Amino acid sequence: MTYRGLSIDELHALLVSKKVTPLQLAEEALILAKKDSNNAFEYIMEKEALEFAASLKEPEVNNPLWGIPFVIKDNFSTKDIPTTASSNILKGYVPVYDATVVEKLKEAKAVAIGKVTLDELAMGGTGTSGHLGMTFNPHDRSHKRLVGGSSCGSAACTADGYVPFALGSDTGDSTRKPASYAGLVGFKPTWSLISRYGLFPFAPSLDTVGIFARNVKDSAYVLNALAGHDDKDSTSSVRPIDDYAGEIEKINPKTKVAVIKGILNSISDKTVLDKFNETVKSLKDAGFAVDYVDIDEKILSSLFPTYFVISCAEATSNNANLDGIKFGPYYNGATFEDVVTQARTNGFSELIKRRFIIGNFALMKENQNDLFLRAQKNRRVIVDAVNKVLKDYDFIYCPAAPSIAPKVGEASDRLSNEYLIADNHLVIANFAGLPSITLPIGIKDGMPFGANITGRAFEDKQVLQMAFELEKHTGLKNLVAKGE
Amino acid sequence: MKEYNIEILKQAAHGLLFDMSEEQYETLLQEFDIVVAQMKIIGENKELDKTEQMVFPFEVSTSVMREDVPTTPLPREEALRNANNKIGGQIKLPKVVL
Repeated sequence: MTYRGLSIDELHALLVSKKVTPLQLAEEALILAKKDSNNAFEYIMEKEALEFAASLKEPEVNNPLWGIPFVIKDNFSTKDIPTTASSNILKGYVPVYDATVVEKLKEAKAVAIGKVTLDELAMGGTGTSGHLGMTFNPHDRSHKRLVGGSSCGSAACTADGYVPFALGSDTGDSTRKPASYAGLVGFKPTWSLISRYGLFPFAPSLDTVGIFARNVKDSAYVLNALAGHDDKDSTSSVRPIDDYAGEIEKINPKTKVAVIKGILNSISDKTVLDKFNETVKSLKDAGFAVDYVDIDEKILSSLFPTYFVISCAEATSNNANLDGIKFGPYYNGATFEDVVTQARTNGFSELIKRRFIIGNFALMKENQNDLFLRAQKNRRVIVDAVNKVLKDYDFIYCPAAPSIAPKVGEASDRLSNEYLIADNHLVIANFAGLPSITLPIGIKDGMPFGANITGRAFEDKQVLQMAFELEKHTGLKNLVAKGE
Repeated sequence: MKEYNIEILKQAAHGLLFDMSEEQYETLLQEFDIVVAQMKIIGENKELDKTEQMVFPFEVSTSVMREDVPTTPLPREEALRNANNKIGGQIKLPKVVL
């Protein structure tokens, strides 16, 4: 029997009834990992996974993650396991501590089977810029289509059924966009709900831990394990947490949903629009109020530039510690500056350097007012506009991306509304710190595409309830890529 | 906003302690044309001058004070294990003061 593609619930039932052991699950996941053709893995944790899985003897009936295999994006610190963030500047780095989320999943007795690749330092959206090269979309075995990024390895492993869930991160849409391209549920919880201790910072005012799964309830199980205050993260919320999985079926029948007209208008793909409108009709037929509402198009067009300036500027500062001295390859030099300059020149790819320069340009004394501070002010304008919609509506609902996964090298007009709005609107949830989830709603040419639900801050439970409801309408869950 | 040209981009790169090839700077200069055109979209909103900056999405109440709890600190070997140039239990670097 194969366990590939089974959900957490299905695997849990098998584990509890002792029809399978954690060791058997880990062994199969490791076989799949070793045969991976998606270029997803940075490091396969064979020895560690087998030892840990073998130590799990008596099933924990009330712990759905007991014995469940998963993968970790390689920008989470893992004690004694190489961690590179897919950048050559961290080649050979072996952390001395676990990220809090890794620790929590260990405590839940889930079994990590590998560290998976990403766009370098999580700064990209294509899954092509990591030091291993492109990661492929498992739904396209010809390897012509992107899986998206930056959490490309997490998306590929979950979509290919090696594991039922994966850890990702989300600064602009790095969990929710790949989820759309790979037929997955990609969840970015409320900013501060999950500790980021041990997550390599990209832009801390936006960074959030992300969860990949193949159905909504599985995402809720993982959030149950990860949510909660952590003294090690000064931005971690002290609010009490909910039971996200236990109440997932209890949606408020008076739920009101807003569809942003400007986002729909920026999408040209008829299949995506038709399918999306079908889901709207289905929700209305079920008694939910769904209205089409406006957000000023100028605000929507400014989403991407605002994100680009803020994220590049924050990244420039946050990655100053990557110097080849405390970790990473060391280069001899006559002066301290020589040593660091060689490490950073050789360690960062061109793409990362370009982003850092843009960030530094925005932070220059002469430019701060016109670029960085202006972007931060515009962030407030965006957040106010979004929160105004969420005063009257429980959720914002929109297509997650303008199309199915693009082919490698397909270029967008970066000044078009399709690029500025349709391709980048998910960043709204990062600006405002809101819970936001993508789930599949349709398939075109054999490739899945998704829609996104965003709710109010700390209403993660309600967002999961809405997604669970929508999943029932589409019937699209537990999608696994066809074998080669 | 400051004018941008190859020299300014080099200045920004060198300030961050890395360098690129001439060809890469040329590519970046072209990218700047698009980035600056995108920035102009933000510039169109004249109301921004009256708006307060937003740094974090919302305030998070947290306590910086905590109970003193005795713990075992990271051993020196562990703290240094990822440093690739060390001597006598310390990181070795070129002289800073000559």
